[in-house]
Amino acid sequence: MDAGVGRGGSHLVTPRRGQARAFYLVLAVIAVAGIGALLWLANRPAKAIRTLTVQPTAAQAEGYLAGNPDAPVQVLEFADFQCPACAQFSTLTEPDIRQRLVDQGTVSFRYFDFPLQQHQNSLRASIAAACAADQGKFWPMHDLLFQQQPYWSEERNPRGKFLEYAAQAGVDQSAWKSCYDEQRHLERIMDNSAEGERRGVTSTPTFIIGTQMIAGALAYDQFKALVDTALAHAPARPTAPAASHGDSATPALP
Amino acid sequence: MTRRMWVAVLSLLGLFIALYLTLYKVGAIGQLSCSVGSCETVNTSRWSLLAGQPVAAWGAGLYALILVVALAGVQDARRDAPAIAWALTLLSGWGVLFSGYLTYVELFRIHAICIWCVTSASIITIVFVLSASDLARARRTGRRSAAVHASGQRA
Repeated sequence: MDAGVGRGGSHLVTPRRGQARAFYLVLAVIAVAGIGALLWLANRPAKAIRTLTVQPTAAQAEGYLAGNPDAPVQVLEFADFQCPACAQFSTLTEPDIRQRLVDQGTVSFRYFDFPLQQHQNSLRASIAAACAADQGKFWPMHDLLFQQQPYWSEERNPRGKFLEYAAQAGVDQSAWKSCYDEQRHLERIMDNSAEGERRGVTSTPTFIIGTQMIAGALAYDQFKALVDTALAHAPARPTAPAASHGDSATPALP
Repeated sequence: MTRRMWVAVLSLLGLFIALYLTLYKVGAIGQLSCSVGSCETVNTSRWSLLAGQPVAAWGAGLYALILVVALAGVQDARRDAPAIAWALTLLSGWGVLFSGYLTYVELFRIHAICIWCVTSASIITIVFVLSASDLARARRTGRRSAAVHASGQRA
């Protein structure tokens, strides 16, 4: 392998000049290609979003509402607390959506549990969030579950971690514990999941924005463009700013 | 090309793979290209951070160090320096052990495989084999030089 070995004592051995030239050429090619590839990957535009037009139908499950239920654009999210893409959307995109679209009364945002079977702790996380919703703390618990996802998703029994997050969210712990241990809201979660199946959801996160169904995490700009399209087709009506991210049980939805 | 040249080339390749995963982890790249396995599952798991930094960033640091040592080792003055061979062997040996641990975590804890991590583990293993072989060569050369030197003194 050491083609340059030969000609006398060890300290006199030098790689052939041509060999050294080839070596530095290979290094330079890899360096240029590598830097170019990284720059391209960092700057390439996001993939075009594939949307599916769906018929607006009334939801049979309630989900968890943020914002004004009468906002001109209704958004439904079907998500799994253990899904990395859902966590990415929740932590990177959702804060902007709440601040710029939900709190301004443009969008009503409704979260539906869609726990996937391959995720061992998804259903438990949905139960943890539903029990926090009993005390009006669904959204703080939702945010904590997604932010802390790497720390509980592989736990054999994540109850302790969930209890910690419930406490951080300001939930009364003893009420939360009895709710969680009794799996009190299992039926509600199954109803939310069935709502997704009824609408043809197959992966998480999936969004229904107006009449468009989109699978995959969205950046804010992509989300806003879809909201603008829905807004253009929405019937004109006054928008009232939302008071808070309440955990409404209002079932009426387009 | 010499073994050390191959070590430098492979460590540069490994460096770019580690940088790619690091850029994903810090949010500079939105989505990982992953034709085989579940790269995002692995790179968003809790094992993807070590001492608060992305594991891939530690890997990039190790590859960069190996590259610098290998480049120093291809210069004529240090071509047979055993210290260079020892440094490459120890650094890449550490990389093999750590990659072995990460592969175990992927298979038995996360239950997902990241093709980039597997590629990196393969690269560091080849680098280790080349470095160990280079170390054996450097030691042989050192013994031969000593023998030539001793016989020259006797003459």
